[in-house]
Amino acid sequence: MTDLWPRLAALLRNAERPSRYINHEWGCTYKPDASYRFCMVYPDTYELGQANQAVRILCNTVNGIEGMAAERAFLPAPEFCDTMRTEGLPLFSLESCAPLAEFDAVGITLSHELAATNVLEVLDLANIPYREDKRSDADPLIIAGGPCAFNPEPFAPFFDAFVIGEGEEAVCEVLLCHRRLKAKGLTRGEALQAIAAIPGCYVPSLYRWLPEDAAQVRGSWIEPVHEGLPVVVHKRLFAGFAQSSAYEPCIVPFVEAVHDRLNVEVLRGCTRGCRFCQAGMVGRPVRERSVENIVSATTRGLAETGYDEVSLASLSTTDHSQIAAMLEQLNRACAGRGIRISIPSQRLDAFGVTMAGLVAGQKKGGLTFAPEAGTQRLRDVINKNVTEDDIFDAVDAAFYAGWRHCKLYFMIGLPTETDEDIEGIASLAQRIYDRARDIVPAAQRGAVKVNVACALFVPKPLTPFQWDGQIEPEEALRRVGLLRSSVKSRAISINWHDPSTSLIEAVLSRGGRECAAWVEEAWKRGARFDAWTECFKQEAWDEAARAVGIDPLIAAQRSFDPAYLLPWSHISAGVTPEFLRRERQCAAGGEKTVDCTFDACSECGVCPGLGVKTQVQGVRHA
Amino acid sequence: MPEVRLFRLRVFFCKGGRLALLSHLELARALERTVRRAGLPYAVSQGFSPHMRIAFGAALPVGVGGLQECFDLSLASYVAPDKALEALVATSAEDLMPHTCNYIGSKAPAASVAYPLCAYEARFSRAPEAPLPVPETVTLTRKSKEKVLRVADYLEGEPVWDGDRLTFALWSRPTGSLRCDTLVEAMLAQQGAPAAPGGETLQLVSLTRTAQHALLNLL
Repeated sequence: MTDLWPRLAALLRNAERPSRYINHEWGCTYKPDASYRFCMVYPDTYELGQANQAVRILCNTVNGIEGMAAERAFLPAPEFCDTMRTEGLPLFSLESCAPLAEFDAVGITLSHELAATNVLEVLDLANIPYREDKRSDADPLIIAGGPCAFNPEPFAPFFDAFVIGEGEEAVCEVLLCHRRLKAKGLTRGEALQAIAAIPGCYVPSLYRWLPEDAAQVRGSWIEPVHEGLPVVVHKRLFAGFAQSSAYEPCIVPFVEAVHDRLNVEVLRGCTRGCRFCQAGMVGRPVRERSVENIVSATTRGLAETGYDEVSLASLSTTDHSQIAAMLEQLNRACAGRGIRISIPSQRLDAFGVTMAGLVAGQKKGGLTFAPEAGTQRLRDVINKNVTEDDIFDAVDAAFYAGWRHCKLYFMIGLPTETDEDIEGIASLAQRIYDRARDIVPAAQRGAVKVNVACALFVPKPLTPFQWDGQIEPEEALRRVGLLRSSVKSRAISINWHDPSTSLIEAVLSRGGRECAAWVEEAWKRGARFDAWTECFKQEAWDEAARAVGIDPLIAAQRSFDPAYLLPWSHISAGVTPEFLRRERQCAAGGEKTVDCTFDACSECGVCPGLGVKTQVQGVRHA
Repeated sequence: MPEVRLFRLRVFFCKGGRLALLSHLELARALERTVRRAGLPYAVSQGFSPHMRIAFGAALPVGVGGLQECFDLSLASYVAPDKALEALVATSAEDLMPHTCNYIGSKAPAASVAYPLCAYEARFSRAPEAPLPVPETVTLTRKSKEKVLRVADYLEGEPVWDGDRLTFALWSRPTGSLRCDTLVEAMLAQQGAPAAPGGETLQLVSLTRTAQHALLNLL
């Protein structure tokens, strides 16, 4: 492969934060002799992508296959993208510093909708045709996965194949199949036919996209171009997750990256059943790893990496049936070494006095809770299953244990939300602040801070709220204004997301294949790094919408009857459409659904549908 | 609380190759992690946010390498210097390799101020037609404010040219320092047009801090 380092090195003296591009971190794997080469791309800068779990897991797994090498690539920062274009330097992998176009396959993880234009930026910078129909046999196979793959259509023309669900087994199957067929001299089209037969793989070019009316009549938005292709693609699940080792080789970056710490995945899946949450619906069922597995992986990981912090990662770590024993053992193992044990976010109903004492040891930075809604009525609508007493108990425990800052996540624009719910956020934050002040010693009262972060509701595919529209940006800002004016204390700060980017997320989240043209036109007009406030170009998206005839406001705000067939109906995450409809109905009536790991089965359809079952290490106690 | 005896280990290492592009903060983080990986009995500070007791030498600019860089590590128990070095070498990246360890007294000056005079070597894309003149002053702009430094206040003796290689030494003063890369860039900015028409402009290829001298050594 071509080594671009000499050309790159000459440009790095003037680059912003050159250490993003230099490789050579502690723990990286380099297999120069492997005959088949895969490059895993995170479509944003190194700082944001290096900690990504998919990049780490898939690189480790593929590197474990004989004769295969996995390398990493990230999108350079905007200034360096421009420098590379000017100098004619194509996008490169870190380990070999080789052009992406020379790899056999390239994987791109789609972690959020706003990465859409960055996908095109990656492919274009790599000199790979960004539309799959323009690629030749000489181009790499371009595959995608990640949360956005559960509605692949807005990305469909840019990828050869999507891997739906957990990738550690499926991606290897795709790459092994591709290597075998490539060695036999089969064409790109022939390889794609074979990949389409692998469970969990969706090859969009093998399906015609139907107009809306026809889709509603036929009961599917896609039509296979020939017989024998699956009409529904079921997500892949790593059934051996609970038994597999929690230890993974880990790269230690030089750059200060986000989540720059040891990550140990303690469990997968969450069945709390929040009705807006895509991760909770598509990640089922719950599978817990054992305490011994987690403690041993953490001890080994800390020794090998030199990190001073470990994060026990999952969707809901405090729900682990043996969380207290796990934290006690870890605290003992790490005592006196200045090591911090953190949990990404705490369940309000699972954070008591014991947990407060066990999390973070001596170091107490901020603590994050997610009540999501300001009133009990709305929390019942979204099935948050958290009461005001749970919230106050958790906050009391945290401030008694020594925390002085608390971050609260809320969502604005949830279905059925009224002004009373918005005022409820302010009232809840104020009461939390008042309680915290009463708890802490008088001399420390000035240090008490409550930070309220508000996201705008984005309807996500395969959730009970997938049929609900988003509120319009002006209305979102009015509600933010109402919240700000309802908060009286200066120690409570309010932060909110820009509704313009949330609008794009909503359109791409629920869009069909026609949205790809919008993404392409926006990128051609300069849109990239849309998740970065300073880079977001509203006018590029507006002009692109006019050019392709899409009205983003209508698309985002559109609500559907639950009988309406949505553009991702051919993708199944295991939860049945009937369950989602039933949940939507329960939401309307403010009726709650229990978590099957604590209570009775909620009949979501995952276990019988995927032939798996919940795996917990002990009895979960609410 | 009784005072706990700590052992102050000074570790010298090279910063080279690609890792010369690390910033001081990145270097500090990487060294701290190296110490943890080495399994040395490092001391931990007491207080709200316990952290490793480690102190770093004078910062190098991004892109500048070093042959005699150092940091001070407080150990809670004694480890023979050769054993400590062996453990550090085993867990260090190739371009951040420790080469010497020794214990220093508890009152010894911190690594960041112990060596006020530093020697540098710059390598260029070719030998200049004539030695580049040293500017009398260098103007720095930080946050739209200009500061003029007199080069003679910092430069020790005269820079020496040997083909495409330039060596010079700079003092760190209590009032501030002149960065080695700033001086070289100022010298490059003074170069005239290439002697031959279409000739190559002189370019800096690498810059390395080759030695750091303590005041005692200079007396």
